[in-house]
Amino acid sequence: MTKLTTLSQAMQTIPDGSLLGLGGNALNRAPMAAVMELARLRKRGLRLVKTAGGMEVDLLCLAGCVAAVDAGFISYETEYSLCQHYRKAVQAGSVKANEHACYTVISALRAASYGIPFMPVRGLKISDLVAANDYFAPVTDPFTGETLNAVKALRPDVSIIHAQLADEQGNALIEGPKYEDVLLSRASQTTIVTAERIVGEDYFARSDVKANIPHFLVSAVVHAPRGAAPGACHGAYGVNDEAIRSFLSLTDEPALAAWLNRRP
Amino acid sequence: MLRPCDIMTVSMARLIRDGETVFHGVSSHMPMIAVLLAKATHAPNAVHLNIPGGVDPQKPRLQSFTSAGDDLWSPAVAEFPLQEVFDLSMRGGLDVAFLSGVQFDNRGGVNASVIGDYRMPKVRLPGGAGSAVLIPTAKRAIIWRTKHDVRTFTDKLDFTTARGNVSDIVTPLCVFTMYGGELILKSVHPTSSIEEVAQNTGFPIRYITLATTPPPTEEELKKLDEIDPQDYRSLEFR
Repeated sequence: MTKLTTLSQAMQTIPDGSLLGLGGNALNRAPMAAVMELARLRKRGLRLVKTAGGMEVDLLCLAGCVAAVDAGFISYETEYSLCQHYRKAVQAGSVKANEHACYTVISALRAASYGIPFMPVRGLKISDLVAANDYFAPVTDPFTGETLNAVKALRPDVSIIHAQLADEQGNALIEGPKYEDVLLSRASQTTIVTAERIVGEDYFARSDVKANIPHFLVSAVVHAPRGAAPGACHGAYGVNDEAIRSFLSLTDEPALAAWLNRRP
Repeated sequence: MLRPCDIMTVSMARLIRDGETVFHGVSSHMPMIAVLLAKATHAPNAVHLNIPGGVDPQKPRLQSFTSAGDDLWSPAVAEFPLQEVFDLSMRGGLDVAFLSGVQFDNRGGVNASVIGDYRMPKVRLPGGAGSAVLIPTAKRAIIWRTKHDVRTFTDKLDFTTARGNVSDIVTPLCVFTMYGGELILKSVHPTSSIEEVAQNTGFPIRYITLATTPPPTEEELKKLDEIDPQDYRSLEFR
């Protein structure tokens, strides 16, 4: 069964208010084409899940699409400084920052993928994050009595992952660093794959390198060449410095709308 | 000319011991270069762990926009992704984690979360990334911060993102170390002075013996230029 569809149609299936997992790390292989389409569609109330996010979170915050961000770190890396739109939205109270340690996002996704309600984690021993957030709570080891902290499961309604290769059925191969994307696909109710290249139906069957995201976890496949741009995609392209800097110069939603209209 | 970014990078590299497992994360060009320098000089058997999961990348061609990219993966000898680096730390197997933040107190507390109230912050910071779980579980958490002023080194944090096994803090002025639960001055960089450190630190400076940070050697500077020909170690100072 082909799941190949257009970017617009795939993004329209994501309801406002969804818990949305995003693949990649910082400016590396983030699903930027999909995120830009969500902004064009003026989605509202999205709750984003990511270990370390940057431009994709900043863009969705500027577009007014976001209600909450569950993440360990939200910033561009050194060269492009802070995510000013995310920061302003949190400071204005329009976006809720649910700060995790990156590992507690991973633990929360693992809990979801294991089908259990929470995951005990070591660490977080002396952190104000535990008292400040309702997704952390002390938990007692029933065997030894040791107290650990638990993190509540995060089961995204849908995750968007940008891969180098996918077939029309939804089998997708991430080449190079995978970050938390394979886990994300297991933890989520469903996954939408955008791919640099669509391969034939028998591609993976004839290859010794198998897809790392199997078709039955995937609801839609979109052919999105340069789908991580202006960020980087391993084996395909690096960052587009000029496009990132032109985004960083935007100050409001109308300017973003014009910027999005100029992009394919 | 002695540059604080070279002194800081070299100071971090020297804190790595041969054979140790060492992790750095995103926005971490300076510690990334410090790990590569340590492996090229006194600690060839240190294990370089990072977010893309490339173990011991061989002569990586570094990129300006990331310290978590495929430049660390493609020339690596094995794959060990971020989630497994965290697992390693949780079971006591991570020797060193390099982390940063925005405020630090003299008892090893780190704030990377907010200035002001957590829910209605005056300034929302990027967040502690791995800090809240790595600082208590890594054997040593080494902090670097390119800003050294009384707002950064303060006796009162707005928020405690993490507290635990902070061992050293490297700044453009000096190196602090933890001693008996208290942050004390270990060495002052040759480009600074004890007076400058005291004026820019929001808690009283204490030390046992005061040393000058040994300046980078010719060999260290030569290796730095080989590892980092584009001078990304100075990115945070630009």
